[in-house]
Amino acid sequence: MIGQILYALPFLWHGFLITLAVSGLVVVISLVVGVALGVGLVYGPLPLRLAVRIFSDTIRGIPILVLIFFVYYGLPAIGLQLDAFAAAVLALTLFKVAQVVEYVRGAIASIPAGQAEAAKAIGLTFAARLRYVIFPQATRRFLPPFVNGVTDAVKGSALVSLLGVTDLMHAINQVIGRTYDALPLYLLGAVIYFLVNYALSSLSRRLERRYAFIRE
Amino acid sequence: MNDVSKRREFLKFGAAGLATAGLAAAASTTSVRQAAAQASSDSLLRTVLDRGSILVGTGSTNAPWHFENEAGELVGMDITMGRILAKALFDDESKVEFVLQDPAQRIPNVTTGKVDVSIQFMTMSSQRAQLINFSRPYYVEGVALLSRPDAEVKTFDQMKAKGAEARISILQNVDAENSVHAVLPEAQVMQIDTQANVLQALESQRVDAAAVDLSTVRWLVARNPDRYFDAGKQWNTMLYGAALRQGDLDWLSFVNTAFTVGMFGHETALYDKAFKDFFGLEAPARVPGFPTI
Repeated sequence: MIGQILYALPFLWHGFLITLAVSGLVVVISLVVGVALGVGLVYGPLPLRLAVRIFSDTIRGIPILVLIFFVYYGLPAIGLQLDAFAAAVLALTLFKVAQVVEYVRGAIASIPAGQAEAAKAIGLTFAARLRYVIFPQATRRFLPPFVNGVTDAVKGSALVSLLGVTDLMHAINQVIGRTYDALPLYLLGAVIYFLVNYALSSLSRRLERRYAFIRE
Repeated sequence: MNDVSKRREFLKFGAAGLATAGLAAAASTTSVRQAAAQASSDSLLRTVLDRGSILVGTGSTNAPWHFENEAGELVGMDITMGRILAKALFDDESKVEFVLQDPAQRIPNVTTGKVDVSIQFMTMSSQRAQLINFSRPYYVEGVALLSRPDAEVKTFDQMKAKGAEARISILQNVDAENSVHAVLPEAQVMQIDTQANVLQALESQRVDAAAVDLSTVRWLVARNPDRYFDAGKQWNTMLYGAALRQGDLDWLSFVNTAFTVGMFGHETALYDKAFKDFFGLEAPARVPGFPTI
């Protein structure tokens, strides 16, 4: 079994890089867009709140598999031609944005109203209230579900192989397709995904400590 | 009405008739011209020739049809058929770009123009032919049962005796269920996503046998007799064809011609070598005279 694993390793490098690229892009873009939309959902004017709410509910209600095929085959109909990699990243990002929006909403909503009122009372502007009072507290509520979402994104990135993108999982399947010896390769896949996600979880614990300055 | 006015009426009628005929003729000339122009510029054949390479949708995870060899190169019978097309188009078998796709994408990628042709061990069926055009078949596959040499139930007759208790894994496909039930009417059918997992189901004893391509059974049993056993039943013939978009007869006709020449004509070297490499068989000799193609 070790022999088969060692044999397979060199064939997986490129796929591993694709998995990292897909996960990285999805996480970074969805963090930026999701936080912006999430703040919009909490503090924005009614039309924006409605739009974000409809977006989030719709996307979260669609199976991610359907979303991937919809982006790849549906968008060309309105003139947006994306290659398989871009389409897969866009679909996974849309899905993740909808989740991040909810994390942000939950994190902000969990900060007692008194905090914002007290900030108002000492004359802070809206931007200053968010920056100095709400966000520092909301961040530590936001981090644990978000890191959970990041590890989900790494694992979910395997779905890109449905569009023929050779990520880690697809590279593993290519070796299996040649050797017809699946179990050692699946084991290897599990170990690699675990290592990546374990590294992320450790990183997140350090981040959480960094934001754990408030004692309740 | 006097004679003069009659004559005028008659002339008017004639003039109107001439005018109509002229218009109709003009219109028909235009449409014929348009049609000719469309046939040449709208056909994928022109697009592919202008592009300088052909986009072939295929997979990379199923030996001996399409898989990566030890050097990481994409090879297999399907890949060879793509190269035969490239050779026919550009006289250069390397002018082909293989677009990796999931089996579920074989039809959508053709209909939405992501690839020029799908060549991915695709069974020709009338349902599929309503969505895409099939090329002429390039291989006749059969189904066979693969079991474990150490299992209690390993021959076809033992499986048949097991009735509804028998479990068979098969690659998910339109006719997968019917295909198994044709020989084991009561057996439970497990449809699985990749050929490797169909075999994995057998190895992890989830099923009594894996229903796989006859060529795969032969290949695996010959390579690993201690792990695989030919249960001794083969049935069905399935035609494998390439999938092309509908409404483009120039392209369909070209692909058919290229395949026919590559399999029966004066350029069979690529096909013969693949047949030998991937199925271990010599392609039958082509006999001059009556065309048996």
